[in-house]
Amino acid sequence: MRRLVDKLVTLVFWGTALSLGALLFGVLGFVAHRGWEAISWDFIFEPPRNGMTAGGVWTPLVGTLELITVSMGATIPVGVGTGLYFSEYAADSLFTHVLRQSIRALAGVPSVVFGLFGLSLFVIFLGFGSSMLSASLTLACLSLPLMVTASEQAFRAVPRDYRDASYALGATKWQTIRKVVLPSAASTIITGVILSIGRVAGETAPIIFTGAAFYTPGAARSLFDEVMALPYHVYVLATAGTNIQGTRSLQYGAILVLMGLVLGISSVGVWMRARLNRGK
Amino acid sequence: MKKGKKDRAVYSHFGGLGDKIAARTALSVSTVCILIMGFILYFLVKESLPVLEAATFSQLFFGMDWYPQEAPPALGMFPLIVSSLAVTFLSSVVGLPVSLAIAIFTAEIAPRSLRGVVKPLLELLGFLPSIVFGFLGMAVTAPWLQERFGLLTGLNMANASALLGIMMIPIVGSLADEALCAVPQELRGASYALGATRWETIRRVVLPSALPGILSASLLGVMRATGETMVVLMAAGGAAIIPRSLFDPVRPLTSTIAAEMGETPVGSAHYHALFFAGLILLLITLAINLLSSKIEAKSLKL
Amino acid sequence: MDKTQTKSDRDFSHPQVRTENLNLYYGADRVLQSLSFDIPRGCVAAFIGPSGCGKSSYLRCLNRMNDFIPGARAEGRVLIDGTDIYAPDVDVIALRRRVGMVFQKPNPFPMSIYENVAYGPRLFGVRDREVLDETVRSSLEGAALWGEVKDKLNTPGTGLSGGQQQRLCIARAIATEPEVLLMDEPTSALDPLSTARIEELIRDLKSRFTVAIVTHNMQQAARISDHTAFFLLGELVEYGPTSQIFTAPEDKRTEDYITGRFG
Repeated sequence: MRRLVDKLVTLVFWGTALSLGALLFGVLGFVAHRGWEAISWDFIFEPPRNGMTAGGVWTPLVGTLELITVSMGATIPVGVGTGLYFSEYAADSLFTHVLRQSIRALAGVPSVVFGLFGLSLFVIFLGFGSSMLSASLTLACLSLPLMVTASEQAFRAVPRDYRDASYALGATKWQTIRKVVLPSAASTIITGVILSIGRVAGETAPIIFTGAAFYTPGAARSLFDEVMALPYHVYVLATAGTNIQGTRSLQYGAILVLMGLVLGISSVGVWMRARLNRGK
Repeated sequence: MKKGKKDRAVYSHFGGLGDKIAARTALSVSTVCILIMGFILYFLVKESLPVLEAATFSQLFFGMDWYPQEAPPALGMFPLIVSSLAVTFLSSVVGLPVSLAIAIFTAEIAPRSLRGVVKPLLELLGFLPSIVFGFLGMAVTAPWLQERFGLLTGLNMANASALLGIMMIPIVGSLADEALCAVPQELRGASYALGATRWETIRRVVLPSALPGILSASLLGVMRATGETMVVLMAAGGAAIIPRSLFDPVRPLTSTIAAEMGETPVGSAHYHALFFAGLILLLITLAINLLSSKIEAKSLKL
Repeated sequence: MDKTQTKSDRDFSHPQVRTENLNLYYGADRVLQSLSFDIPRGCVAAFIGPSGCGKSSYLRCLNRMNDFIPGARAEGRVLIDGTDIYAPDVDVIALRRRVGMVFQKPNPFPMSIYENVAYGPRLFGVRDREVLDETVRSSLEGAALWGEVKDKLNTPGTGLSGGQQQRLCIARAIATEPEVLLMDEPTSALDPLSTARIEELIRDLKSRFTVAIVTHNMQQAARISDHTAFFLLGELVEYGPTSQIFTAPEDKRTEDYITGRFG
């Protein structure tokens, strides 16, 4: 009886796992298949044309890359600095406690609320307007908790012995951090950056009212231009295009490019992290 | 402490300045994180308070009508709040049991070689942008539902909740898997040595030991579902009514904000009402966050 | 009671645990080489030898805990009460009920003291509260822990001291009334005082169970066991009455090991 239950339960778990796997891969395979039909080199390297009923995804793709670059430029220094503070300087003080709770809370803020925040602070209060800068900074805030956690873990993983050895040679704390701690933590931090990019690249809600453009004729040339972004482009094509049914293949194509970009970046991160963890 | 200070005074006559600058920089940079969280709270409160000139608290929370564009606007958010809660609840019903099952599968049942493949794939699926699920809901599942069940619209609560539930699985599953793997191997050994089967060991020893971790993973999933925007925006149908059936279209708080913020003049009552909706969302997620840190603190004490 | 007296009374011809030509492989490595020996009923058998000599691996053959190690494979026969536990139709779950185990590190479940001890009986379908109460009491008494915990049975087992935790694990193991009790360096994580209590307990336990104990501490083996087996590189070098192994070993390697440690 007990063995029978055990066998049955095992069967149920295998069944669940296999059917979920089949479902997810079936769905993704379907999207990839439909997208593949729409995709070509021209599709990737051409801007949308004819009121976005033809052409490709070049402008939104470039826009997404621009958003990633600017937001990472903002989030990496703050994230790494805060991680460094936690692992090397933080005393058991009120400040540290408040900092930890803030980051925790920040990690839970819904993405659309980040959008509201970006709208009120960057777009209106600081007067950046609806622009690439506002959208990137909003995304930077969203990815900040990820970046902090990743770099703190990276710094903490550096063995004490390394630091002791450096101190024993007469190095100051800053010298030790710069020459020993940072280099040893670098690969883990880079992994964290890649994973943050994977998270940020597909975000839509935070940029809808902070800088994403319905349509622009070309890629954004300045931080204060509005910018087309791949996820928002998919949303626009699927909900507000001039011919929604007629442009389905364009939509699948854009979705596939987005999925390829996000999953491509993330898989590098996941792979690197798995490798780093195995090394331990 | 004291000794450290003395050492520094003796040895660091030229390293001291660099040290001080570095420490100050790290400190001020981390202050940015606090500032951002502070600003989020400040701006949401500041931008939502003026809505009280147009409606009272009870009108906002319990009003049944959401016609923000009319004059005077009707700003009853009750249907939106109920929609948010209903979608969160339904997606948790779909997502959490499957997440737990997948976690048990990867952590306890799958052979090691399979686990090495499934675990990274699961993590990777967690990175799928929500727009992908929203798009699927719109382009694939909605037409199917509509045809299969003869509905007026396939864009409804059931559709959005199912997608959200599936979206939850990789995230909650990965975290729950970590919680299960953190259970010491010795406890499993002890249980097997007493003649327990694998399922008995999982149910009576492993799951209870990993419970705090599983709970906080689940809460994170619930929090994600509450705050998720694109899926409900695209697949939930967007009708501001109290749902009476699984197949009624709904309009949760998140999709209301995303759909309407672009079309409303800055400073209008509608604008402030949307910020108020954001504030409600923020407070819900903060409450869930608090709950999960309570659970963690409690489990640390044990 | 005179223990040396009862020892010699024991019948060597009806062993509780008989090992016949046992080989254990981890993948391609042979970690146990053709072991053959008997452990008589109601005695304490100690396994000694340097780290990695296979003594723990052998112990884990007796309740087939090696089954969990990927690539582990046993050849030969192990008979417990005359039944081969490596026969194809053997029910491993039922086997582990007959062969209890205490581990190196105390590993109480994160549940109450009561639930820890009641875990095994509950698995085997005991639902009656009175029966459970009685089993918990007698097992805790058997593990010499009852007096210390009888008023706090509902507090977490993880809140006890290390020595108490290990005695709780012993209580948990004997609650299912096994015939053989395996102990894998049960005192190596404990302080000397707790060790002494557990050793005393082991001497009491052999009136009810056959005890097989792995230890890295030779004095301990000398103090508590009736028979001692010396393992080296997966081989059984020598096995016999403890007094003989420690005073007049037949094999040069045994003598070297024992004197090396003592000297």
